[in-house]
Amino acid sequence: MTAAISIRNLKKSYEDTVALKGVDITIGDGEFFGLLGPNGAGKTTTINILTGLVRKNEGDTKIFGKDTVKDYRFTRSQVGISAQEFTQDWFFPLDKLLYFQAGYYGITQGKAKDRVDELLSKLGLEEKRESRLRQLSGGMKRRFQIAKALVHDPKILILDEPTAGVDVELRHELWQYFRELHEAGKTILLTTHYIEEAEMLCDNVAIIDKGRLITEGSPKELTRQLGKAGITINVTDTDSELDSCLKNFTYTREDGRLHFTTLDPEEALPNIINTLTRAGCHIQRVETTKSSLEDVFLSLTGKGINE
Amino acid sequence: MNWVGLWTLTSREVGRFFSVYRQTIIPGLTSSVLYILIFGFTLERRISEIDGVPYTLFIIPGLIMMNTLTNATSNSASSMLQMKLLGQLPDLLQAPLSSFEISLAYIIGGMVRGTVNGILILLVGVGLSGMPVLDPVATIGFIMLVSWAFSSVGLLLGQMAETWDQLATMQNFFLTPLSFLGGIFYSIKMLPDWAQEASFFNPIYYMINGLRYTILGISDSAPNTSLVVAVFMTIGFTLTAIMLMENGKKIKQ
Repeated sequence: MTAAISIRNLKKSYEDTVALKGVDITIGDGEFFGLLGPNGAGKTTTINILTGLVRKNEGDTKIFGKDTVKDYRFTRSQVGISAQEFTQDWFFPLDKLLYFQAGYYGITQGKAKDRVDELLSKLGLEEKRESRLRQLSGGMKRRFQIAKALVHDPKILILDEPTAGVDVELRHELWQYFRELHEAGKTILLTTHYIEEAEMLCDNVAIIDKGRLITEGSPKELTRQLGKAGITINVTDTDSELDSCLKNFTYTREDGRLHFTTLDPEEALPNIINTLTRAGCHIQRVETTKSSLEDVFLSLTGKGINE
Repeated sequence: MNWVGLWTLTSREVGRFFSVYRQTIIPGLTSSVLYILIFGFTLERRISEIDGVPYTLFIIPGLIMMNTLTNATSNSASSMLQMKLLGQLPDLLQAPLSSFEISLAYIIGGMVRGTVNGILILLVGVGLSGMPVLDPVATIGFIMLVSWAFSSVGLLLGQMAETWDQLATMQNFFLTPLSFLGGIFYSIKMLPDWAQEASFFNPIYYMINGLRYTILGISDSAPNTSLVVAVFMTIGFTLTAIMLMENGKKIKQ
């Protein structure tokens, strides 16, 4: 099956900065994909090359198998972009701006009407359709950015920091909406500073840093492979036989404190407790630790996502 | 060709300047009325006729041309710069629109504004001074041609400019002086020889005299020369504007 987005050996340099040093990413049709990385990692450059705002130096970028430069009319019509920066406009009301946006994609006002009405209603902007952008709150502006990205009903939705600066309630509403769009079959490429957002929403994520792809996989896979998970149990009544009872586990022991290393603490815990109980240990305290995607990110890039 | 996209962007450009008509249409009308009343009617007592035409009538084609080309230039220039500064340009550059379509829409927007201003001042001139218009079709055609040329100039300026200050500099130090020196208020025959020869290098001199010919039937330059200069400017600046858009200078990285 043709990938929705295919990026091969993508390189880009600005005057004195190398932004991308050969990035390869494949995003399947219908996938919810997260692109993570610290500031300046190359996320926005990658997106901007895909959408035509930035020219690549080397490499291939394809949307549904078509080259984003040679077949730009096709590839751009497949993509809707919700940019991180708010667009401003002094002249026209919201509905008119959405009609313009649809028009750029070849959709007449008559044909776009139902879609504009639906999006304004779905994103809670119906009452503001006659308002100018400057009259909207930050959350409303963010919702308008998303409506603008969706007005031509693209197959691929690119969300660049879609929940930046919005309150918790709206963030949850937007997450729910993104899930609905994903379930309806849209391919979504998300960049975010909220790693739990990517962890919660994405089927797969790629972590890039300093213009290079560091790792790629599902959030669960990455935390299992690269995270540090374990169980710490404080016990009393230990005897000399304990070590032989626990020979099937990887663990360290400091007096009555046992630390077990495991990829999946929740799965391993019942077995460990049974073994300790059978060995006559009295369990005082159990503590599990499980890495998040953020831990993986930190260990791979050596810095937080906001750095 | 993305016809719907082209139409959409063009109608946005036209709608934009009509929505702020107090800034884009009324000032040109007001200043032209003042020029006609103050310069025309007062100086007419001292300069009775030029080439057999009353002084007030003589200056009106120049005023029309000055407003036409100023408005055409500033429409595409300010709209392009505004889109850059307000973050609207990515919406166009990420849409399935070609550089040709984007350029064309901006140029048509400026052309419409230049033409609307030109025709309104023409009507004011006819209303205030009873000016006869020798060839109305050629007059409107010439206004549209020059509007197109200078709208293309405006698009070039708007794409290259990064601040409002840079745009204002181009307008205040080049466009306005060249308009005034192009013979709005005088015939170059009234100038010393060196100044007459210098005027031949001013393209706006040909624009003003070309329009004066279509309205009043008099011109310092040969009418065909004015037409040829206008056509060459239109083609040259249009192609340059489209190529610069395709090149993406200052708008794409």
